[in-house]
Amino acid sequence: MSHSKLRKTVSYIVMTISSLIMLLPFLSTVFNSLKTYAQFTSIPPKWIPNPVQWSNYSEVWKLGPFSQYISNSAIVTVLSVIGGLLSCSMVAYAFARIEFPFRNTLFMVVLGTMMIPAVVLIIPQFVIFQNLAMLDTLTPLWLIEWLAQPFGIFLMRQAFLAIPKDYEESAKLDGCNPFQIYWRIFIPMCKPTFATLAVFTFMTKWNEILSPAIFLTSKENYTLPIGILSLGGQYNGSEQYVVAAALLSLIPILLVFLFAEKYFVQGSNSAGVK
Amino acid sequence: MGNTELAPTEVKNPVRRRRKRLNSDGKWGLLMVAPYLVHFIVFVLGSLIASLYFSFSEYDILNPPKWTGLDNYTKLFNEPIFWKALGNTLYFAVLFVPLQTILALILASALNQKLRGLKLFRLAHFLPVISSWTVILYVSDAFFNTRFGLANDFLTRMGLDPQTWLQDPQLVIPLLVLIAVWKGIGYIMVIFLAGLQNVPSDVYEAAEIDGAGTFRKFLNITVPLISGTTFLVVVLSTISTFQAFEQIYVMTGGAQDATAAGGPNNSSLVLMIYLYREGFSFMRMGYASAIAWVLFVLLFILTIVQVTLQKKWVHYE
Repeated sequence: MSHSKLRKTVSYIVMTISSLIMLLPFLSTVFNSLKTYAQFTSIPPKWIPNPVQWSNYSEVWKLGPFSQYISNSAIVTVLSVIGGLLSCSMVAYAFARIEFPFRNTLFMVVLGTMMIPAVVLIIPQFVIFQNLAMLDTLTPLWLIEWLAQPFGIFLMRQAFLAIPKDYEESAKLDGCNPFQIYWRIFIPMCKPTFATLAVFTFMTKWNEILSPAIFLTSKENYTLPIGILSLGGQYNGSEQYVVAAALLSLIPILLVFLFAEKYFVQGSNSAGVK
Repeated sequence: MGNTELAPTEVKNPVRRRRKRLNSDGKWGLLMVAPYLVHFIVFVLGSLIASLYFSFSEYDILNPPKWTGLDNYTKLFNEPIFWKALGNTLYFAVLFVPLQTILALILASALNQKLRGLKLFRLAHFLPVISSWTVILYVSDAFFNTRFGLANDFLTRMGLDPQTWLQDPQLVIPLLVLIAVWKGIGYIMVIFLAGLQNVPSDVYEAAEIDGAGTFRKFLNITVPLISGTTFLVVVLSTISTFQAFEQIYVMTGGAQDATAAGGPNNSSLVLMIYLYREGFSFMRMGYASAIAWVLFVLLFILTIVQVTLQKKWVHYE
């Protein structure tokens, strides 16, 4: 009894220290975002902002095309989530439930392509999008999500496999075709998996840097993460605004996390299941 | 579920009925899988072939690729910067993968109990995970800014010399590793936590009766029983480390100037950054494709080695 109590106490101590290590840097960043420029750059540094300069957060909106960056990121993220959910679930349904030629071979291909590093493919993709005249537009960033990415297919297929066959048999007798069965029965039954995939696609796309850095050239087309970086070196004396901008960009994903924590954890775990 | 297959109509004329069903189902199957077919044919298979072709060519995007045989590869292997990038990539991985794996396992073990505030602990550890590298840049800048960061303030107060942190060729990779562990540990911790919760508690109880202490139990039961999860974590993080781009691009100034992304004296130049620089800054797409293929082959070999070695240390029930 006392042994397990000791173990718990040690665990609390470990967790508290570790949590502080995780949180304190963010706290000091929040403080930085509320400082005047003079305080931001003062040596020795001061932890607590004094006076607290709330106006930094309204100044952010005057920093170049910041609101444009937000809307660019929102467009890419929302379209990616919609496209990812639709295409992955449809493809996964076919893999889970329909007999078609080369099904198993093709599914092995899906698993195999998960191993191919994105780097090998990115240069030809750049050439493809250049030929489609889509470079320096937001299209390449979300279009590819509409073509069913392997991780999503894998995740959705696992969920569909768990649904008993009886459901579709009775739907078949009622004259439903496979698409109708997928749309009317399988989609409503797998809401948690859809939520998991939505949350993960949201996080990936909202934070993505490599593809925007390659496909976008004009500043007004930038998404948030690289947009904020480009603001960084632009105006001297405005570093505290840029820090505020970075923290603002964290808010949507933080909200998603707070509302859908369960699905974040599920998705993280499914990375370990194979 | 087997008996549901036999719908009454099927019994009457099994052969004809079946073939017809297969056909229409086959059509639906192919139709519904079409998005992935397009993806695979254009963006995977087609791209792989193109990329391999580019790697044997001189290609600047503006003019059609010109076949040059093994030129890119011979140039690559004779290029000291390539070896430096390869060395940096390995150095990063050798520091990062074990450090993150061990620390995440320790944290997950601490968390694997009925603790109060579990959700709060998890939120704290997920905050870096859900942040973009841009956010992480400003967060770490609060500490490691060379002029007004808290770390240098601490050093000077202790009477020590201030450091140049990410601008220091010696410190840049260890520091990047430290920040990467800090960012990614919550994610790995949760994967481990799921693995730990699959370990049956009676194994521990039996060990307790035999008088095993906490440390012994951890070493002799927990570690072998979750070796499957550990293996997966090691493979996944090795693969992602070799492809690490975003962190180094953002934190060593690549966003402002791609040629700066290698850090001081190319000390943080990893293969991905080298590839990006050659391909997208200097438009040497053929040369960059050769780097990509070397990276691909390297990762492939590494994964094979890991899978072979797993037989020696991964314990499956």
